[in-house]
Amino acid sequence: MKKSHPLRRIVLATAATVSGIVLLLSLKPTTDPNAAQAAGAIPQQTAGAQESAQGGAAAAGSGTVTGRVAQTQYGPVQVRLTMSGGKVTKAEAVQAPSGGTSTQKTELAVPKLNQEAVAAQSADIDAVSGATYTSAGYKQSLQSALDQAKAAGGSATGSSTGGGSGNGGGKASAPAAQARTVSGSVAQTQYGPVQVRITVSGGKITKAEAVQAPSGGTSSQKTALAVPKLNQEAVAAGSADIDAVSGATYTSTGYKQSLQSALDQVGG
Amino acid sequence: MTTTLAGGRAARRQTMRRIRPRRSPAVPLLLAVWAGAMGVLWLWWHNTPSIADNNSKILNAGRITGLLAGYLMALVVLQMARVPALERRVGSDRVARWHAMSGRYTLSLVIAHVFLTMWGYALQGGRTLGDIVQQTIDSINQLPDMGKAAIGTGLLVVIGLVSVGGIRKLMPYDTWYHIHLMTYAAVFLTFWHQITTGNDFAVEPVAKTVWYVLYGSVTALVLWYRILTPIRLNLRHRMRVEAVIEETPGIVSVLIGGKKLHRMGAEAGHFFRWRFLAPGMRFSSHPYSLSAAPRPDMLRITVKAIGDHSAALRKLQPGTRVWAEGPYGAMTASRRSQGKVLLVAGGVGITPMRALFETLPGAAGDITLLYRANTTQDLALWDELSKIAAERGARLMYAVNSPEGERPDISAETLRRKIGDIERHDVFMCGPPGFAQQVYEALRGAGVPARRIHHESFEM
Repeated sequence: MKKSHPLRRIVLATAATVSGIVLLLSLKPTTDPNAAQAAGAIPQQTAGAQESAQGGAAAAGSGTVTGRVAQTQYGPVQVRLTMSGGKVTKAEAVQAPSGGTSTQKTELAVPKLNQEAVAAQSADIDAVSGATYTSAGYKQSLQSALDQAKAAGGSATGSSTGGGSGNGGGKASAPAAQARTVSGSVAQTQYGPVQVRITVSGGKITKAEAVQAPSGGTSSQKTALAVPKLNQEAVAAGSADIDAVSGATYTSTGYKQSLQSALDQVGG
Repeated sequence: MTTTLAGGRAARRQTMRRIRPRRSPAVPLLLAVWAGAMGVLWLWWHNTPSIADNNSKILNAGRITGLLAGYLMALVVLQMARVPALERRVGSDRVARWHAMSGRYTLSLVIAHVFLTMWGYALQGGRTLGDIVQQTIDSINQLPDMGKAAIGTGLLVVIGLVSVGGIRKLMPYDTWYHIHLMTYAAVFLTFWHQITTGNDFAVEPVAKTVWYVLYGSVTALVLWYRILTPIRLNLRHRMRVEAVIEETPGIVSVLIGGKKLHRMGAEAGHFFRWRFLAPGMRFSSHPYSLSAAPRPDMLRITVKAIGDHSAALRKLQPGTRVWAEGPYGAMTASRRSQGKVLLVAGGVGITPMRALFETLPGAAGDITLLYRANTTQDLALWDELSKIAAERGARLMYAVNSPEGERPDISAETLRRKIGDIERHDVFMCGPPGFAQQVYEALRGAGVPARRIHHESFEM
């Protein structure tokens, strides 16, 4: 029987919804923290090298490296390795499928996979039966982490400055000679997300690739058509000021957005 | 003014029952709905690592409104699935109000979602806000399931428009109702684009499963409770009109016979949605309360001839097949908390009160019925009420206009004077909205707590 004026209810509901959405939007960072973390893997590694250098042993390839996110049917998998003296001393899953039976499978499979990874020192490990997809994703991410560790280890031993360049800060201050990969933020387009990863060496883009791009139906065709062109353009231009591929306007726009955010990260 | 259906054995047995108050599950249900909404927002939060610029902000606002609309859409349909827990425990009237409220809100979200998403894509394609129409056409042409979604959204907007108070009053109830039924088609059409183009369902297979389960279970509940349950009920009980009796000028009782009617789970205070399979009445069903406790072979409704439908009831021939859906409604004995009960009836609102007056558990002196009508001639069912009052030792009072047409004084003071311990009563109330409002205020003034005033209101 308590009557509130309908107009009051409308105003309240509108105000609450609008302010809720604005709040949510403003709480989101403008760049992808995960991408920054991936980019930060190498400085972390250098910091690790510095630490062990203080211990007297100029051991290459120490610290933690984080592999790429591998998408599986049940969710993303991402592996982080702790390296010491070029060896994997610890492997863990930063991300793994969860929810429903996925949680159980993850709990079952991930510890085994971690052990296997440390034992094998490579991505050549057995899949856990009953968790095939998670195992496959794990191996992918593990391989990418090992690749990173190898690349970083190589450049660290080659560098005469040793660990001295590591400043321990979160921001990546790239020495001119060192190649870095940086992922841009995910740009949402009408057809799906686009994310660009660039490899920067000597202040130049040496490689550009799309980690995520629209797929399914005609989108796959358009992606196949547009992304290689955009990659080339990005390397040639050295900036996000590139031409859109005609017939793939949305993907191009998303590509440019993500590319710009990757470049911003390098610049910062 | 002679009738018919007083004092069955079943009714007398019911008066001996123990008083067992049951709490309405409304609060836990509302909490669950909020938790679900939080879950939907979390899904968005989880799948959105960052928002780079204003354009992305617009797109993400479109995603949030879309996700929430998709979630609420399922609940809006669920509210009308006639689930017994909602109809009988929360109360049909309250659920109908929730439905109207959340329906309006969901439609607003849908419109915001379309506008924001198309605006965002237009900006992304290097266009401006002015190109939003062209953008919408392009998206419909290029994206999967968007044609269906556009038709569905169009339907939803039409349905929303005809439900606006002013416009709704312009058309007959049945027309409005049948337009409203198209909501099912609209929801079906808009469902698919959520799955195929929704970012969160593309990247999160678990979310996709949850969405299918949500919509699937709502569909199952609608099929079960709106279609299969009524079919089973009517096949089992095979109801027919037995007789039509004029109680007072303008008020008729319809006696409905059938098989094993005591097995329908109906109680005093419940109503059914009735459809009489007579020419001209076949396509509309109307809610009428039982005006007597159900007997194994007989149900009774009492109706005031106000609309076309209720006027046509008078001409019903015995033997006419009856299609009923129910029982619905929460204003039954289980609403009562304890002790004494005051029943307040205004006009034809006497029907559920009459049934409760006969069956509410209580000792002599526990039950009081206050009956308001225009004149003593309008006091329908008065004879049987007097008989019940005498048998049960219950109090029966009436309030009618004075010969000069002056309204009786129903205020906090008169109520307290007539019923000394009124603040210790549970009050059941049924009557026209203005009357109910007046009595409600008088009762509150007389010290009856709001939670003990039980009232069904089908006003939106």
